[in-house]
Amino acid sequence: MSTQVHSTLSEETVREISGNLSEPDWLLETRLDALDALSDVDMPDVIRTPGRDWTNLDALDYEGFVDPLSADEQKDRVEPEGVSVLSMADALDEHEDLVKEYFGSIIDPQENYLTALSTALFTTGTLIYVPKGVDAEDVKIRTTMQSQSLFNYTLVVTEESSSVTILERQDSEELSGERYYSGLVEIAAGENSHVQYGSLQDLDEETYNYTLKRGNTEDYATLNWIEGNLGSRLTKSSVETNLDGEGSETKTVGAFFGHEDQHFDIAARVWHNTAHTTADLVTRGVLDDEARSVYEGVQDVGTEAWDTSSYQRENTLMLSDGSEADASPKLIINNHDTEASHSATVGQIDKEDLFYMTSRGVPPQLAKDMLVEGFFVPVLDEVEVEELREDLDSGIVERLG
Amino acid sequence: MSSEQDHLKETDTEERFEFKKEQRAAVKSNKGLTEEVVRLISEDKDEPEWMLQRRLRALEHYQNMPLPTDWPGQPDLTELDVEEIVPYIRPDVDKREGADSWDDLPDDIKDTFEKLGIPEAERKALSGVGAQYESEVVYQNMQDQWEEKGVVFCNMDRAVQEHEDLVKEYFMTKCVPPSDNKFAALHGAVWSGGSFVYVPEDVTVQMPVQAYFRMNSEGMGQFEHTLIIAEKGSEVHYIEGCSAPKYGSHNLHSGGVEVFVDEDAHVQYSTVQNWSKNTFNLNTKRAIVEAGGRMEWVSGSMGSKATMLYPCSILKGRGASANQISIAFAGEGQNIDTGAKVYHNAPKTNSTIESKSISKDGGRTNYRGLVHISDGAVDSSTAVECDALMFDNESTSDTMPYMEINEDRVDVAHEATVGKIGDEDVFYLQSRGLDDDDAKQMIVSGFIEPITEELPIEYAVELNRLIELEMEGSLG
Repeated sequence: MSTQVHSTLSEETVREISGNLSEPDWLLETRLDALDALSDVDMPDVIRTPGRDWTNLDALDYEGFVDPLSADEQKDRVEPEGVSVLSMADALDEHEDLVKEYFGSIIDPQENYLTALSTALFTTGTLIYVPKGVDAEDVKIRTTMQSQSLFNYTLVVTEESSSVTILERQDSEELSGERYYSGLVEIAAGENSHVQYGSLQDLDEETYNYTLKRGNTEDYATLNWIEGNLGSRLTKSSVETNLDGEGSETKTVGAFFGHEDQHFDIAARVWHNTAHTTADLVTRGVLDDEARSVYEGVQDVGTEAWDTSSYQRENTLMLSDGSEADASPKLIINNHDTEASHSATVGQIDKEDLFYMTSRGVPPQLAKDMLVEGFFVPVLDEVEVEELREDLDSGIVERLG
Repeated sequence: MSSEQDHLKETDTEERFEFKKEQRAAVKSNKGLTEEVVRLISEDKDEPEWMLQRRLRALEHYQNMPLPTDWPGQPDLTELDVEEIVPYIRPDVDKREGADSWDDLPDDIKDTFEKLGIPEAERKALSGVGAQYESEVVYQNMQDQWEEKGVVFCNMDRAVQEHEDLVKEYFMTKCVPPSDNKFAALHGAVWSGGSFVYVPEDVTVQMPVQAYFRMNSEGMGQFEHTLIIAEKGSEVHYIEGCSAPKYGSHNLHSGGVEVFVDEDAHVQYSTVQNWSKNTFNLNTKRAIVEAGGRMEWVSGSMGSKATMLYPCSILKGRGASANQISIAFAGEGQNIDTGAKVYHNAPKTNSTIESKSISKDGGRTNYRGLVHISDGAVDSSTAVECDALMFDNESTSDTMPYMEINEDRVDVAHEATVGKIGDEDVFYLQSRGLDDDDAKQMIVSGFIEPITEELPIEYAVELNRLIELEMEGSLG
């Protein structure tokens, strides 16, 4: 099954993008190979039950909204001491070997149609390089999309015993018509390093959003993700960790709040590939109006993953009749020396709580808003980056109106 | 422990299930699924034209439908060659509609069921027993007191003749249409035997009715159909057991079960499946539950090479409920892919699913579930709990639940845990003087207790005994 191929996408377009960024040949080749692959590879997998794809990616009009040569954005990067936070062009000047080693090593550019499209067309990107032993806080990248489509790429490399917290935000200036934002994030977490990567997506609600974030951990590394989704018309997001190193750990904290006709397809996945690894996946979401969420959580424990601990919780709160929440938390266990659990719940605001608050004189709407805000507290508490926590919280409060 | 339990415990289960008899066939169809085979079955049963037409339509669906191949982690069906399966063998017995007395059966068939303990169970505590050998029911009996109240318990072939209107209305029309899936279509084309249960309004059948299915021939398929109609306010508990000896080539079991639970009625359907480990067990079981009705599925899946079975409850009326309890045990070379489906299509509907699995020696268990809550099913609730116990590192256990929630006024909860047998628990029991095997056995018995509690004592003992044997590695 091959997917649509764009008549407007040509080798010339890709060469032009690459040329504008003065890229080395190997990167141009990678782009061209990805362009070629577009006619062969499938859309990313979506959850499917008989008769139904839970998110229909084929229905999107990529040809209509992908306009790579007009890509425009405003980018702010905050670079704390000791860390390199570089645009892709600067990164290729200063650390070409590093980029060459890691680019496409964690997410195969030809993994699916949308990763191939992203690789062929990305115009903006950032390398975050944390040398051995450096502790860095508050790397910040803010991408404001100012064009019809934007393809963004982030590569994080941390060396032995370093640590870093990164906050990457995506938002957009208002434009008319349907738009497309695509972001790929690859993280190589070196031995004993500690990476916290937070993302806060607040794109305008005409934007279709595809993001794939994936990290590999070496021995004793910790890779923590925060995945906040508020904006976009449709988001398909997957946050994934390969626990490749012994004793490595990951935690994924997700929060989303959908309203009107927003559609969130959120996945959190972890592969336990070796011994003594730990994972904790926590996601909470709220849906209002006609919004819809699809959640998939995967905990995959491999044959060699002795002494694994793996936990997953997903809770969805539905505020309206028209909303829909689908969930599929999956456990795949191939090693018996495992402690694993997952749980998922869907429900509405607790009537007794509401009654209790209104009986104490809190107006009903305010009481409801407070309960929704309170619902997010357990995940907000897990967010170690203060700015991200506050912004996520204020985004939620704003959404409640 | 009562002497009854002791007796059952002492019976050598291996001997009880694994023995083979010479084939005894009055009519045997060719291999494979063809129109000719379908016509032969229908003709041999002297069926009305409409049933033949239904079979032929099902065959058409079968030929047009793909095998399920793209389910994540599903059992491998490539070894199953339906063209090599003999779909119909009518054993050579005197009475086509099933003997009323065990003594009327040929000795070898009677001996088969004696060994399986069926006549004995009937004498003890059951309202009625049906016994199917190959493709046909060879024995069918129900206690007079139930017949007097209008309860019908007979084999499906007889029901087509004697209760034609009911069968015509309900058979694979509303609940499991042949277009549902490839194996439902196959079943619709070549079905034979099975049970028909009809319970009139407000009648409570206090003791369970039982059916036992035995496949004896190599390379055959068994396709029994079970149709249960429980009228308003009635209550019945149906139990089925099954087994087959092990042969070199594959057997196929593809049953179809349709249950109609009318308003405020209550049906419990229990299965202890112990097919031999060369059997593909691919069934479709479904219930439609009207307002206030209650459906309970209880199942123990021990045998088979591969099982794909997801009993489904459609909660159609206000306040309908479904409970499902299952235990799956997968040993060497086995892949038990089972779960539950519930559709909440009305307000105040309620479901609970409790699934336990044990995997050992490279066995593979999977819980695959779907809970769907339709828009308008307000104040519905569902709770799903899956627990998996793994014995070793060659085994696999997956949990793949799907939840589709279209209504906000609901309460949905899913929980699953996987763990190995606790070293500390084993140590504790050993320190109290149990040896390693007994300690593990005791932990497993405790683990599956919620299931065994729901079964009549004979079945509960049987299930425990089977698991014990699996753990000793003496079966299969």
